[in-house]
Amino acid sequence: MKLLATLWNTLKRPPVHLSLGVVVIVSFIAGVIFWGGFNTAMEVTNTEKFCVSCHEMEDNVYQELQETVHWSNRTGVRAICSDCHVPHEWTAKIARKMQASKEVWGTIFGTIDTPEKFEEKRLELAQHEWSRFQANGSKECRSCHDYDSMDWELMSDEARRFMKPAAERDQSCVDCHKGIAHHLPEDMNKGGNPMLAKLVNNAVAVNAGSEAYYSAESVDLYRDAERTELAGHLTIASEVTVQETQGDSVKLAIPGWRKEKGFGRVLYEGFGQNITNAVLEKDVSQDEALVATGEQKVDDLTGLPWAQVTVELWAKKGAYVDERDALWDTASEIYHDGCSVCHGEPDPEHFDANTWPAMFSGMVGFTNMDAPTQSLVLKYLQKHSSDYVDAENTTGVEDAPEQ
Amino acid sequence: MAKTESRQETGSSKRREWTALLFIVAIVVPLLSIAVVGGYGFVVWMLQVFVLGPPGHGG
Repeated sequence: MKLLATLWNTLKRPPVHLSLGVVVIVSFIAGVIFWGGFNTAMEVTNTEKFCVSCHEMEDNVYQELQETVHWSNRTGVRAICSDCHVPHEWTAKIARKMQASKEVWGTIFGTIDTPEKFEEKRLELAQHEWSRFQANGSKECRSCHDYDSMDWELMSDEARRFMKPAAERDQSCVDCHKGIAHHLPEDMNKGGNPMLAKLVNNAVAVNAGSEAYYSAESVDLYRDAERTELAGHLTIASEVTVQETQGDSVKLAIPGWRKEKGFGRVLYEGFGQNITNAVLEKDVSQDEALVATGEQKVDDLTGLPWAQVTVELWAKKGAYVDERDALWDTASEIYHDGCSVCHGEPDPEHFDANTWPAMFSGMVGFTNMDAPTQSLVLKYLQKHSSDYVDAENTTGVEDAPEQ
Repeated sequence: MAKTESRQETGSSKRREWTALLFIVAIVVPLLSIAVVGGYGFVVWMLQVFVLGPPGHGG
């Protein structure tokens, strides 16, 4: 305390012994040293050596980088971690350096310190970067890659076919080039869409009764509680109620409409709506013990008779949620990401439910959606189509208005 | 200022001034700068998370 008082006394008066020149020159030199030190700290924390000093980085993404063109290529021009992952613009860079406190925390508390933990978080971490690139139009890529400098003649025809329109739109590189430097989240484009896997992770415990549940993934249906006699399958986002549970099986009551033509194997979500909820084996669809028939109606558009039905079959536990919002949110995001790359995506209510299947299959080949993803996105589009949209507001409602 | 300041007081006064100068210049200002810039970065980060979203085009 005494020291501070002395210091303050000295500081609040003009100096008696030190000349102005000395004060200025010493301050200036100290400022230069500090500025250099600050910038050196910025540079050092941007080096590959620094980033890779955490084993989480060295063992995972650093190894993956070495398989890619950003590590080794014909011309030997390569990128290091900070070229892509640290914004170059000063304010954003400083914010990112402060955000690194999160990574320090992770190192100390081992958030991703095993390969298993890392893989679990991989999608989340990847999505952080993807949204950053989406927000700034892949700015960091453009430090080296410039659309205006691309020589169209030197590209393969196939590359030019995609790159030229992308250049005209000034498209964000990462919209298409995900996985250019590190592995994509496991199963992406291979065994399953991890975004769909997340939906199943949010499955709820079900209660027998009249409460409505929705399948968070496609499930097989069985005649028996032991699930040995396959009876058909339930598609994703289909409404069911639960009759009883036994072991790790649940007995579902699946409401729907079917066309009274042929074997009547397909259950649809609503009268006159080609929204597939379940597909049954022939013998099951004809078995009156399993299929209860209700109201019958003729569809004027086709002259086909439809019947309301409820089917009771067994399925596995742990795949149902109590509302479809999360399913629709995921589907909507996939739809936007996949279908706005080349053109603006149409509003779901631009078409009606029975038009969407053809529109969708005509265009889905241009995307990378696997079959389960397509099933979810199509149902999302159909359930938010003009048949389901109230004239006064644009939120989808669960029941279609009377045809 | 009394002209009769003793030599010792003058010496220690000079020493105090140097101490004060170096303390300000080598410790206070650098730490303050780091705190201010770091604080700025932190505030911007929080804005990016809760208000602005990730940094966009421009700049």
